[in-house]
Amino acid sequence: MAHNAAAIRTVDLLGVFWRSFFIQASWSYDRLQSLGFAFALIPVLRRLYPDREVFAGRLAAHMEYFNTQPYLASFVLGAAAKAEEDRASGRNTTADVVELKKTLMAPLGALGDSFFWGSLKPFAASAAVAVLLTGAWWAPLLFLVLYNIVHVGLRLSLVFVGYETEGDVVALMSRYNFTRLARRYKVLSLAIVGCIVGTLSAWGPVFRAPLSVSPPLLATAGLALTLGMIALLRAGASPVKIMIGLSAACLILAWGGFA
Amino acid sequence: MMLFDTHTIMQVLFAALISGIVGLDRTALGQFMISQPVVAGPLTGWLLGDVTAGLVIGGTLELIWVLDMPIGTFVPADSTVAAVAATAIAALGSTTPGQLPVIGFCLLLTVAMVPVTMYADHLMRQRNAQIPELALSADGRPTESGVTVWHLAGLIAFFLKAFLLCLGLVSAGLVLVSGFLALPPSVHRAMSLFVTFLPLLGAASVARKLSMNTLDRTLLIGFLIGAVSVQLFHVPEIAAIVLAAGGGWMGTRFHGA
Repeated sequence: MAHNAAAIRTVDLLGVFWRSFFIQASWSYDRLQSLGFAFALIPVLRRLYPDREVFAGRLAAHMEYFNTQPYLASFVLGAAAKAEEDRASGRNTTADVVELKKTLMAPLGALGDSFFWGSLKPFAASAAVAVLLTGAWWAPLLFLVLYNIVHVGLRLSLVFVGYETEGDVVALMSRYNFTRLARRYKVLSLAIVGCIVGTLSAWGPVFRAPLSVSPPLLATAGLALTLGMIALLRAGASPVKIMIGLSAACLILAWGGFA
Repeated sequence: MMLFDTHTIMQVLFAALISGIVGLDRTALGQFMISQPVVAGPLTGWLLGDVTAGLVIGGTLELIWVLDMPIGTFVPADSTVAAVAATAIAALGSTTPGQLPVIGFCLLLTVAMVPVTMYADHLMRQRNAQIPELALSADGRPTESGVTVWHLAGLIAFFLKAFLLCLGLVSAGLVLVSGFLALPPSVHRAMSLFVTFLPLLGAASVARKLSMNTLDRTLLIGFLIGAVSVQLFHVPEIAAIVLAAGGGWMGTRFHGA
Protein backbone atom coordinates (compact mmCIF):
# COMPACT_ATOMS: atom_id res chain seq x y z
CA MET A 1 0.00 0.00 0.00
CA ALA A 2 1.36 3.42 -0.89
CA HIS A 3 1.88 6.04 1.82
CA ASN A 4 2.11 9.81 1.50
CA ALA A 5 5.82 10.11 2.28
CA ALA A 6 7.86 13.22 1.55
CA ALA A 7 9.98 13.16 -1.60
CA ILE A 8 13.73 13.55 -1.44
CA ARG A 9 14.92 17.00 -2.58
CA THR A 10 18.16 17.94 -4.35
CA VAL A 11 19.33 19.64 -1.18
CA ASP A 12 18.96 16.34 0.72
CA LEU A 13 21.17 14.57 -1.81
CA LEU A 14 23.68 17.43 -1.62
CA GLY A 15 23.70 16.87 2.15
CA VAL A 16 24.49 13.20 1.53
CA PHE A 17 27.28 14.23 -0.89
CA TRP A 18 28.85 16.54 1.73
CA ARG A 19 28.65 13.86 4.42
CA SER A 20 30.14 11.25 2.08
CA PHE A 21 33.53 12.93 2.62
CA PHE A 22 33.32 11.70 6.24
CA ILE A 23 32.27 8.13 5.42
CA GLN A 24 35.47 6.62 6.86
CA ALA A 25 35.79 8.87 9.92
CA SER A 26 35.28 5.93 12.30
CA TRP A 27 36.66 3.13 10.07
CA SER A 28 37.35 -0.05 12.05
CA TYR A 29 38.18 -3.68 11.23
CA ASP A 30 34.86 -4.97 12.59
CA ARG A 31 32.35 -2.54 11.11
CA LEU A 32 34.39 -0.82 8.38
CA GLN A 33 32.20 1.96 6.91
CA SER A 34 28.92 0.97 8.58
CA LEU A 35 28.61 3.96 10.92
CA GLY A 36 29.86 6.29 8.15
CA PHE A 37 27.16 5.05 5.79
CA ALA A 38 24.42 5.69 8.38
CA PHE A 39 25.91 9.12 9.14
CA ALA A 40 25.98 10.09 5.44
CA LEU A 41 22.37 9.03 4.90
CA ILE A 42 20.98 11.07 7.82
CA PRO A 43 19.70 14.02 5.67
CA VAL A 44 17.57 11.62 3.62
CA LEU A 45 16.32 9.60 6.62
CA ARG A 46 15.47 12.81 8.49
CA ARG A 47 13.42 13.98 5.48
CA LEU A 48 11.60 10.67 4.96
CA TYR A 49 10.94 9.65 8.57
CA PRO A 50 9.77 12.52 10.80
CA ASP A 51 8.67 9.95 13.40
CA ARG A 52 11.61 9.49 15.84
CA GLU A 53 11.00 5.79 16.40
CA VAL A 54 10.89 4.95 12.71
CA PHE A 55 13.91 7.19 12.09
CA ALA A 56 15.91 5.36 14.78
CA GLY A 57 14.92 2.01 13.28
CA ARG A 58 16.06 3.00 9.81
CA LEU A 59 19.30 4.49 11.15
CA ALA A 60 20.01 1.22 12.97
CA ALA A 61 19.34 -0.71 9.74
CA HIS A 62 22.05 1.29 7.97
CA MET A 63 24.56 0.64 10.75
CA GLU A 64 24.91 -2.95 9.59
CA TYR A 65 28.18 -4.13 8.02
CA PHE A 66 29.09 -2.10 4.95
CA ASN A 67 32.32 -1.62 3.03
CA THR A 68 33.14 -0.50 -0.48
CA GLN A 69 35.55 1.86 -2.24
CA PRO A 70 34.92 5.17 -0.42
CA TYR A 71 34.33 7.25 -3.56
CA LEU A 72 31.96 4.77 -5.21
CA ALA A 73 30.07 4.59 -1.91
CA SER A 74 28.42 7.77 -3.25
CA PHE A 75 26.63 5.64 -5.86
CA VAL A 76 25.38 3.24 -3.17
CA LEU A 77 24.30 6.18 -1.01
CA GLY A 78 22.26 7.61 -3.90
CA ALA A 79 20.73 4.20 -4.58
CA ALA A 80 19.97 3.64 -0.88
CA ALA A 81 18.32 7.09 -0.73
CA LYS A 82 16.03 6.11 -3.59
CA ALA A 83 15.30 2.72 -2.00
CA GLU A 84 14.44 4.43 1.29
CA GLU A 85 12.18 6.86 -0.56
CA ASP A 86 10.38 3.91 -2.16
CA ARG A 87 10.18 2.13 1.18
CA ALA A 88 8.75 5.19 2.92
CA SER A 89 6.06 5.43 0.26
CA GLY A 90 5.33 1.68 0.47
CA ARG A 91 6.81 0.73 -2.92
CA ASN A 92 9.43 -1.67 -1.52
CA THR A 93 10.40 -3.38 1.75
CA THR A 94 13.18 -3.17 4.31
CA ALA A 95 14.68 -6.36 2.88
CA ASP A 96 14.99 -4.68 -0.54
CA VAL A 97 17.09 -1.84 0.88
CA VAL A 98 19.42 -4.21 2.74
CA GLU A 99 19.74 -6.47 -0.30
CA LEU A 100 20.56 -3.53 -2.57
CA LYS A 101 23.49 -2.47 -0.40
CA LYS A 102 24.79 -6.04 -0.10
CA THR A 103 24.58 -6.52 -3.86
CA LEU A 104 26.38 -3.30 -4.72
CA MET A 105 29.22 -3.04 -2.22
CA ALA A 106 31.51 -5.87 -3.39
CA PRO A 107 31.53 -5.19 -7.16
CA LEU A 108 31.79 -1.43 -6.67
CA GLY A 109 34.62 -1.98 -4.21
CA ALA A 110 36.61 -3.95 -6.78
CA LEU A 111 35.78 -1.48 -9.55
CA GLY A 112 36.67 1.58 -7.48
CA ASP A 113 39.91 0.12 -6.10
CA SER A 114 41.05 -0.72 -9.61
CA PHE A 115 40.06 2.66 -11.09
CA PHE A 116 40.92 5.18 -8.37
CA TRP A 117 43.77 3.51 -6.46
CA GLY A 118 45.12 1.39 -9.31
CA SER A 119 45.03 3.78 -12.25
CA LEU A 120 43.97 7.41 -11.60
CA LYS A 121 46.26 7.88 -8.58
CA PRO A 122 49.38 6.42 -10.23
CA PHE A 123 48.68 8.52 -13.34
CA ALA A 124 48.43 11.78 -11.36
CA ALA A 125 51.46 10.77 -9.26
CA SER A 126 53.62 9.84 -12.28
CA ALA A 127 52.79 13.11 -14.04
CA ALA A 128 53.46 15.17 -10.89
CA VAL A 129 56.74 13.42 -10.07
CA ALA A 130 57.92 13.70 -13.70
CA VAL A 131 57.33 17.46 -13.50
CA LEU A 132 58.85 17.65 -10.00
CA LEU A 133 62.07 16.00 -11.21
CA THR A 134 62.55 18.90 -13.63
CA GLY A 135 62.61 21.20 -10.60
CA ALA A 136 59.10 22.67 -10.95
CA TRP A 137 57.70 23.70 -7.55
CA TRP A 138 54.09 23.48 -8.75
CA ALA A 139 54.16 19.69 -9.25
CA PRO A 140 52.09 19.01 -6.06
CA LEU A 141 49.39 21.35 -7.35
CA LEU A 142 49.37 19.51 -10.67
CA PHE A 143 48.82 16.25 -8.77
CA LEU A 144 45.88 17.69 -6.80
CA VAL A 145 44.23 19.16 -9.91
CA LEU A 146 44.64 16.01 -12.07
CA TYR A 147 43.28 13.80 -9.30
CA ASN A 148 40.50 15.89 -7.81
CA ILE A 149 38.87 17.04 -11.05
CA VAL A 150 37.94 13.40 -11.59
CA HIS A 151 37.49 12.44 -7.93
CA VAL A 152 35.23 15.25 -6.70
CA GLY A 153 33.32 15.49 -9.99
CA LEU A 154 32.54 11.78 -9.94
CA ARG A 155 31.70 11.72 -6.25
CA LEU A 156 29.09 14.45 -6.71
CA SER A 157 27.68 12.95 -9.89
CA LEU A 158 27.50 9.41 -8.48
CA VAL A 159 25.09 10.36 -5.67
CA PHE A 160 22.61 11.58 -8.29
CA VAL A 161 23.31 8.73 -10.76
CA GLY A 162 22.77 6.19 -7.96
CA TYR A 163 19.48 7.87 -7.07
CA GLU A 164 18.23 8.18 -10.66
CA THR A 165 19.21 4.65 -11.76
CA GLU A 166 18.12 3.07 -8.44
CA GLY A 167 21.55 1.44 -8.16
CA ASP A 168 21.70 -0.01 -11.67
CA VAL A 169 25.37 -0.89 -12.17
CA VAL A 170 24.85 -1.53 -15.90
CA ALA A 171 23.57 2.04 -16.31
CA LEU A 172 26.55 3.27 -14.29
CA MET A 173 29.01 1.37 -16.49
CA SER A 174 27.40 2.61 -19.69
CA ARG A 175 27.71 6.19 -18.44
CA TYR A 176 31.28 5.85 -17.12
CA ASN A 177 33.35 3.10 -18.70
CA PHE A 178 35.67 2.72 -15.70
CA THR A 179 37.42 -0.33 -17.10
CA ARG A 180 38.44 1.39 -20.35
CA LEU A 181 39.39 4.59 -18.51
CA ALA A 182 41.52 2.60 -16.06
CA ARG A 183 43.42 0.92 -18.89
CA ARG A 184 44.09 4.30 -20.51
CA TYR A 185 45.34 5.86 -17.30
CA LYS A 186 47.63 2.86 -16.75
CA VAL A 187 49.13 3.15 -20.24
CA LEU A 188 49.66 6.90 -19.78
CA SER A 189 51.34 6.24 -16.42
CA LEU A 190 53.70 3.69 -17.93
CA ALA A 191 54.65 6.06 -20.77
CA ILE A 192 55.34 8.88 -18.30
CA VAL A 193 57.36 6.60 -16.01
CA GLY A 194 59.41 5.53 -19.04
CA CYS A 195 59.94 9.21 -19.86
CA ILE A 196 61.11 9.87 -16.27
CA VAL A 197 63.91 7.35 -16.82
CA GLY A 198 64.64 8.61 -20.36
CA THR A 199 65.11 12.21 -19.21
CA LEU A 200 67.40 11.22 -16.32
CA SER A 201 70.23 13.42 -17.61
CA ALA A 202 67.94 16.47 -17.57
CA TRP A 203 66.56 16.06 -14.04
CA GLY A 204 66.80 19.09 -11.75
CA PRO A 205 70.18 19.69 -10.05
CA VAL A 206 69.06 18.14 -6.75
CA PHE A 207 68.28 14.81 -8.38
CA ARG A 208 71.11 14.76 -10.94
CA ALA A 209 73.56 11.92 -10.28
CA PRO A 210 77.07 13.21 -9.42
CA LEU A 211 78.63 10.84 -11.97
CA SER A 212 80.76 12.04 -14.87
CA VAL A 213 79.21 10.01 -17.72
CA SER A 214 77.65 11.09 -21.03
CA PRO A 215 73.84 11.68 -21.10
CA PRO A 216 73.10 8.70 -23.42
CA LEU A 217 75.13 6.38 -21.21
CA LEU A 218 73.47 7.76 -18.08
CA ALA A 219 69.98 7.20 -19.56
CA THR A 220 70.90 3.67 -20.64
CA ALA A 221 72.36 2.88 -17.21
CA GLY A 222 69.23 4.32 -15.61
CA LEU A 223 67.04 2.10 -17.78
CA ALA A 224 69.13 -0.97 -16.97
CA LEU A 225 68.94 -0.22 -13.25
CA THR A 226 65.18 0.35 -13.43
CA LEU A 227 64.59 -2.88 -15.34
CA GLY A 228 66.82 -4.71 -12.85
CA MET A 229 64.74 -3.38 -9.96
CA ILE A 230 61.50 -4.33 -11.74
CA ALA A 231 62.88 -7.87 -12.07
CA LEU A 232 63.78 -7.89 -8.35
CA LEU A 233 60.32 -6.65 -7.37
CA ARG A 234 58.78 -9.28 -9.61
CA ALA A 235 60.92 -11.90 -7.90
CA GLY A 236 59.41 -10.92 -4.55
CA ALA A 237 61.78 -8.26 -3.20
CA SER A 238 60.06 -5.39 -1.40
CA PRO A 239 60.80 -1.70 -2.10
CA VAL A 240 62.10 -1.44 1.48
CA LYS A 241 64.68 -4.18 0.90
CA ILE A 242 65.74 -2.58 -2.38
CA MET A 243 66.14 0.79 -0.61
CA ILE A 244 68.45 -0.83 1.92
CA GLY A 245 70.38 -2.54 -0.89
CA LEU A 246 70.69 0.73 -2.82
CA SER A 247 71.98 2.58 0.23
CA ALA A 248 74.59 -0.16 0.78
CA ALA A 249 75.62 0.05 -2.89
CA CYS A 250 75.94 3.84 -2.60
CA LEU A 251 78.16 3.48 0.48
CA ILE A 252 80.43 1.08 -1.42
CA LEU A 253 80.58 3.45 -4.42
CA ALA A 254 81.38 6.42 -2.17
CA TRP A 255 84.08 4.56 -0.25
CA GLY A 256 85.53 3.36 -3.53
CA GLY A 257 85.81 6.99 -4.66
CA PHE A 258 83.23 6.70 -7.47
CA ALA A 259 80.95 9.38 -6.01
CA MET B 1 74.05 23.72 21.45
CA MET B 2 71.28 21.64 23.01
CA LEU B 3 69.59 19.24 20.58
CA PHE B 4 66.10 19.98 21.90
CA ASP B 5 65.92 23.66 22.76
CA THR B 6 62.57 25.41 23.11
CA HIS B 7 62.50 26.51 19.47
CA THR B 8 63.15 22.96 18.22
CA ILE B 9 60.51 21.49 20.56
CA MET B 10 57.96 23.98 19.20
CA GLN B 11 58.95 23.09 15.63
CA VAL B 12 58.61 19.35 16.37
CA LEU B 13 55.15 19.95 17.83
CA PHE B 14 54.27 22.01 14.75
CA ALA B 15 55.41 19.15 12.50
CA ALA B 16 53.26 16.73 14.52
CA LEU B 17 50.31 19.08 14.12
CA ILE B 18 50.83 19.13 10.33
CA SER B 19 50.99 15.33 10.38
CA GLY B 20 47.77 15.09 12.42
CA ILE B 21 45.83 17.42 10.13
CA VAL B 22 47.19 16.12 6.82
CA GLY B 23 46.88 12.54 8.12
CA LEU B 24 43.10 12.94 8.41
CA ASP B 25 42.90 13.11 4.63
CA ARG B 26 44.57 9.71 4.31
CA THR B 27 41.51 7.70 5.38
CA ALA B 28 39.09 9.52 7.64
CA LEU B 29 38.27 12.81 5.96
CA GLY B 30 37.82 13.67 2.31
CA GLN B 31 40.65 11.72 0.71
CA PHE B 32 41.53 14.63 -1.55
CA MET B 33 45.08 13.20 -1.58
CA ILE B 34 46.64 16.11 0.29
CA SER B 35 48.03 13.26 2.37
CA GLN B 36 50.00 11.83 -0.55
CA PRO B 37 53.77 12.27 -0.08
CA VAL B 38 54.09 14.42 -3.22
CA VAL B 39 51.80 17.00 -1.55
CA ALA B 40 52.37 16.37 2.18
CA GLY B 41 56.19 16.48 1.86
CA PRO B 42 56.46 19.85 0.06
CA LEU B 43 53.73 21.33 2.28
CA THR B 44 55.64 20.32 5.42
CA GLY B 45 58.91 21.54 3.93
CA TRP B 46 57.35 24.89 3.05
CA LEU B 47 55.86 25.35 6.53
CA LEU B 48 59.14 24.42 8.22
CA GLY B 49 61.35 26.47 5.89
CA ASP B 50 62.91 23.77 3.70
CA VAL B 51 60.86 23.32 0.51
CA THR B 52 63.67 21.45 -1.25
CA ALA B 53 63.68 18.71 1.40
CA GLY B 54 59.90 18.39 1.09
CA LEU B 55 59.95 18.22 -2.71
CA VAL B 56 62.73 15.62 -2.81
CA ILE B 57 61.32 13.42 -0.04
CA GLY B 58 57.69 13.75 -1.19
CA GLY B 59 58.45 13.11 -4.86
CA THR B 60 60.65 10.13 -4.06
CA LEU B 61 58.29 8.41 -1.62
CA GLU B 62 55.27 9.07 -3.85
CA LEU B 63 56.23 6.72 -6.65
CA ILE B 64 57.59 4.06 -4.29
CA TRP B 65 54.34 3.79 -2.28
CA VAL B 66 51.64 5.00 -4.71
CA LEU B 67 50.43 1.51 -5.58
CA ASP B 68 50.40 0.19 -2.02
CA MET B 69 46.61 0.15 -1.98
CA PRO B 70 44.10 0.08 0.92
CA ILE B 71 42.02 -2.79 -0.41
CA GLY B 72 39.40 -4.33 1.91
CA THR B 73 40.80 -4.50 5.44
CA PHE B 74 44.45 -4.26 4.33
CA VAL B 75 46.11 -1.17 5.78
CA PRO B 76 49.19 -0.14 3.76
CA ALA B 77 52.30 1.61 5.08
CA ASP B 78 51.51 5.14 6.23
CA SER B 79 53.44 7.08 3.59
CA THR B 80 51.89 10.33 4.89
CA VAL B 81 53.46 10.17 8.35
CA ALA B 82 56.68 8.89 6.75
CA ALA B 83 56.82 11.86 4.32
CA VAL B 84 55.94 14.48 6.95
CA ALA B 85 58.30 13.04 9.57
CA ALA B 86 61.22 12.58 7.14
CA THR B 87 60.77 16.13 5.81
CA ALA B 88 60.55 17.55 9.32
CA ILE B 89 63.69 15.69 10.41
CA ALA B 90 65.55 16.96 7.32
CA ALA B 91 64.31 20.52 7.77
CA LEU B 92 65.03 20.70 11.50
CA GLY B 93 68.17 18.56 11.53
CA SER B 94 70.07 20.19 8.64
CA THR B 95 72.47 23.04 9.21
CA THR B 96 71.31 24.66 5.93
CA PRO B 97 68.11 24.08 3.86
CA GLY B 98 68.24 21.47 1.10
CA GLN B 99 71.22 19.52 2.49
CA LEU B 100 71.19 16.48 0.22
CA PRO B 101 73.09 14.00 2.46
CA VAL B 102 70.65 14.65 5.33
CA ILE B 103 67.70 14.30 2.94
CA GLY B 104 69.09 10.96 1.77
CA PHE B 105 69.56 9.80 5.36
CA CYS B 106 65.99 10.83 6.22
CA LEU B 107 64.69 8.86 3.23
CA LEU B 108 66.59 5.85 4.56
CA LEU B 109 64.98 6.39 7.97
CA THR B 110 61.51 5.98 6.40
CA VAL B 111 62.41 2.30 5.94
CA ALA B 112 62.36 1.93 9.72
CA MET B 113 59.19 4.03 9.99
CA VAL B 114 57.05 1.73 7.80
CA PRO B 115 56.43 -1.11 10.30
CA VAL B 116 55.87 1.36 13.14
CA THR B 117 53.21 3.28 11.19
CA MET B 118 51.46 0.06 10.13
CA TYR B 119 51.33 -1.22 13.70
CA ALA B 120 49.95 2.08 15.03
CA ASP B 121 47.28 2.11 12.31
CA HIS B 122 46.34 -1.48 13.15
CA LEU B 123 45.96 -0.69 16.87
CA MET B 124 43.83 2.39 16.24
CA ARG B 125 41.45 0.62 13.87
CA GLN B 126 40.99 -2.16 16.42
CA ARG B 127 40.05 0.44 19.05
CA ASN B 128 37.60 2.08 16.63
CA ALA B 129 35.49 -1.11 16.71
CA GLN B 130 33.96 0.16 19.97
CA ILE B 131 32.57 3.34 18.38
CA PRO B 132 29.31 1.93 16.88
CA GLU B 133 28.29 0.58 20.32
CA LEU B 134 28.96 3.96 21.92
CA ALA B 135 26.66 5.62 19.36
CA LEU B 136 23.66 3.76 20.75
CA SER B 137 21.45 5.32 23.42
CA ALA B 138 20.56 3.62 26.73
CA ASP B 139 17.66 1.71 25.11
CA GLY B 140 20.01 0.26 22.51
CA ARG B 141 18.72 2.37 19.62
CA PRO B 142 20.79 4.90 17.70
CA THR B 143 20.02 8.63 17.75
CA GLU B 144 21.06 11.23 15.18
CA SER B 145 23.21 13.09 17.68
CA GLY B 146 24.78 9.88 19.02
CA VAL B 147 25.74 8.66 15.55
CA THR B 148 27.02 12.10 14.52
CA VAL B 149 29.09 12.74 17.64
CA TRP B 150 30.64 9.29 17.92
CA HIS B 151 31.26 8.89 14.22
CA LEU B 152 33.05 12.23 14.04
CA ALA B 153 34.93 11.35 17.24
CA GLY B 154 36.73 8.83 15.06
CA LEU B 155 38.49 11.80 13.45
CA ILE B 156 40.15 12.52 16.79
CA ALA B 157 41.56 8.99 16.89
CA PHE B 158 42.98 9.33 13.37
CA PHE B 159 44.41 12.77 14.21
CA LEU B 160 46.04 11.57 17.41
CA LYS B 161 47.56 8.56 15.70
CA ALA B 162 49.31 10.70 13.08
CA PHE B 163 50.21 13.42 15.62
CA LEU B 164 51.80 11.09 18.17
CA LEU B 165 53.55 8.96 15.56
CA CYS B 166 55.13 12.03 13.99
CA LEU B 167 56.08 13.42 17.40
CA GLY B 168 57.93 10.23 18.31
CA LEU B 169 59.51 9.65 14.91
CA VAL B 170 60.76 13.22 14.48
CA SER B 171 62.20 13.31 18.01
CA ALA B 172 64.04 10.02 17.47
CA GLY B 173 65.05 11.08 13.95
CA LEU B 174 66.64 14.32 15.14
CA VAL B 175 68.85 12.37 17.56
CA LEU B 176 69.91 10.05 14.73
CA VAL B 177 70.57 12.95 12.32
CA SER B 178 72.84 14.64 14.86
CA GLY B 179 74.84 11.40 14.92
CA PHE B 180 74.78 11.19 11.10
CA LEU B 181 76.24 14.69 10.75
CA ALA B 182 79.35 13.53 12.62
CA LEU B 183 80.00 10.67 10.16
CA PRO B 184 82.82 10.90 7.54
CA PRO B 185 82.27 12.79 4.21
CA SER B 186 82.18 9.53 2.25
CA VAL B 187 78.95 8.53 4.05
CA HIS B 188 77.48 11.93 3.21
CA ARG B 189 78.43 11.49 -0.46
CA ALA B 190 76.82 8.04 -0.38
CA MET B 191 73.54 9.49 0.90
CA SER B 192 73.59 12.19 -1.81
CA LEU B 193 74.02 9.47 -4.43
CA PHE B 194 71.24 7.44 -2.78
CA VAL B 195 68.79 10.34 -3.37
CA THR B 196 69.53 10.33 -7.10
CA PHE B 197 68.82 6.58 -7.43
CA LEU B 198 65.51 6.53 -5.55
CA PRO B 199 63.29 8.01 -8.32
CA LEU B 200 64.35 5.01 -10.42
CA LEU B 201 63.12 2.68 -7.65
CA GLY B 202 59.85 4.63 -7.73
CA ALA B 203 59.65 4.20 -11.50
CA ALA B 204 60.33 0.46 -11.09
CA SER B 205 57.65 0.13 -8.38
CA VAL B 206 55.01 1.75 -10.58
CA ALA B 207 56.00 -0.24 -13.68
CA ARG B 208 56.00 -3.49 -11.68
CA LYS B 209 52.44 -2.96 -10.45
CA LEU B 210 50.99 -1.62 -13.71
CA SER B 211 52.45 -4.10 -16.17
CA MET B 212 52.86 -7.85 -16.35
CA ASN B 213 56.07 -7.52 -18.40
CA THR B 214 59.47 -6.39 -17.20
CA LEU B 215 60.18 -5.14 -20.73
CA ASP B 216 56.85 -3.37 -21.09
CA ARG B 217 56.41 -1.84 -24.57
CA THR B 218 54.76 1.39 -23.36
CA LEU B 219 57.47 1.89 -20.73
CA LEU B 220 60.17 1.51 -23.38
CA ILE B 221 58.36 3.85 -25.81
CA GLY B 222 58.11 6.46 -23.05
CA PHE B 223 61.82 6.01 -22.35
CA LEU B 224 62.76 6.44 -26.02
CA ILE B 225 60.56 9.52 -26.47
CA GLY B 226 62.02 11.09 -23.32
CA ALA B 227 65.65 10.28 -24.09
CA VAL B 228 65.55 11.21 -27.80
CA SER B 229 63.58 14.42 -27.39
CA VAL B 230 65.77 15.73 -24.56
CA GLN B 231 69.19 14.56 -25.77
CA LEU B 232 68.83 14.78 -29.54
CA PHE B 233 66.35 17.60 -30.05
CA HIS B 234 66.98 19.47 -26.77
CA VAL B 235 63.25 19.67 -26.11
CA PRO B 236 62.39 21.10 -22.64
CA GLU B 237 61.75 18.30 -20.12
CA ILE B 238 58.09 19.18 -19.53
CA ALA B 239 57.46 19.11 -23.29
CA ALA B 240 59.13 15.67 -23.37
CA ILE B 241 56.72 14.46 -20.68
CA VAL B 242 53.76 15.74 -22.71
CA LEU B 243 55.17 14.01 -25.83
CA ALA B 244 55.60 10.72 -23.94
CA ALA B 245 52.05 10.97 -22.57
CA GLY B 246 50.89 11.68 -26.13
CA GLY B 247 52.78 8.61 -27.33
CA GLY B 248 51.11 6.51 -24.66
CA TRP B 249 47.73 7.94 -25.59
CA MET B 250 48.29 7.09 -29.27
CA GLY B 251 49.22 3.57 -28.17
CA THR B 252 45.87 3.17 -26.44
CA ARG B 253 44.09 4.33 -29.60
CA PHE B 254 45.92 1.87 -31.88
CA HIS B 255 45.67 -1.06 -29.52
CA GLY B 256 42.05 -0.47 -28.57
CA ALA B 257 42.68 0.01 -24.85
